[in-house]
Amino acid sequence: MKGWHRIALALVAGIAMGVGGAWYRIQAGFDDGRLANGPWTTALNYGTSGADSVTRASVALRGILALPSTETVYWNATTDSEGKALDGGCTYVMTGKALDARWWSVTYYDKKGFLVANPANIWSFSGASVPPAESNGWRVTIGPEKVEGHWLPSAKGQGFELTLRMYNPGNGFRAAPDKAELPKLNKERCA
Amino acid sequence: MTRWIVPLLVFIGTAVAAWHATLTITTFGLMEAAVRRVSAKSELNVMAYGNLASPANQPIVRPSPDLAYSTCPFNLSAGPLLINVVPVAGRYNSLSVFDGRTDVVFVRNDVQAGGKPFKVAIALAEQKVPEGIETVRVRYGRGIALVRLLLADPGEIAQLDTVRRQSNCATIRS
Repeated sequence: MKGWHRIALALVAGIAMGVGGAWYRIQAGFDDGRLANGPWTTALNYGTSGADSVTRASVALRGILALPSTETVYWNATTDSEGKALDGGCTYVMTGKALDARWWSVTYYDKKGFLVANPANIWSFSGASVPPAESNGWRVTIGPEKVEGHWLPSAKGQGFELTLRMYNPGNGFRAAPDKAELPKLNKERCA
Repeated sequence: MTRWIVPLLVFIGTAVAAWHATLTITTFGLMEAAVRRVSAKSELNVMAYGNLASPANQPIVRPSPDLAYSTCPFNLSAGPLLINVVPVAGRYNSLSVFDGRTDVVFVRNDVQAGGKPFKVAIALAEQKVPEGIETVRVRYGRGIALVRLLLADPGEIAQLDTVRRQSNCATIRS
């Protein structure tokens, strides 16, 4: 092999390694939060100049126009509380208490981060849906079949993700977000 | 074996450069795509009052169906941008400004604004802004200003639409 052949091979391999490695990290980065709490992960530097370039590119791909954590904390879940991937054909029970934020919501997305059509036109569950009597303990069913009570429809045949938004999180939460009591996600059954 | 030392160094250098270039191009490219997408139905430097997000209406990834978004995609090449925001009382709403690198260069919510209208100018370093206007200096000339308005129920948009349309943006002509 001639010298310029080796250089050309090194250039091509270097570009492939750099581009491929970066793209892999961008894809994985959104789920690779620096902060984990149960099935929920986040990073507190979204949208800030202090974010590293992998986080910035990942957020641009999966959640562009995200606010900084001083304004909103975005938690993402791709698994249930036992670490199993969320499946739209299964039924889950999400339980929790009123969260320490001015307003919060949990939104259902497909694996690419888009809302999924359903006959009920319900795509999220928010604190506004929780009556005062349930502030110490609410329960919502996530599944393909309509149930009594709070229901967040899922789509059979595809995985999904949940995003928990906490707008204007309280000081107590901000002091220790990894120890905050966030909603639990337990699988009940699969079709 | 020594024949491979130089190619190995070339490989490492190229891989590092390609890594950083990919991250940078992805970030700026996706932001530019977002600017073009939200300005496709209106214009640059003009506030558009979007319909609520739904599976059929998702101009950007991971939209919240609980928020009414008003967007002002901007290009500062013709001058600074002036944004007027009229908060809607009694509910979360905020203005956030994203630069071409996706960084938030300004954010203010209704509580921080004391529930009162406010103005803010977005300008490049060398651009002049009339005195007395709060100004945010940005490094990149293109980006998106976004007004979020929380709805307890999607049906609320009918009664709140008139108020949210009082927020606007425009180029400051010298």
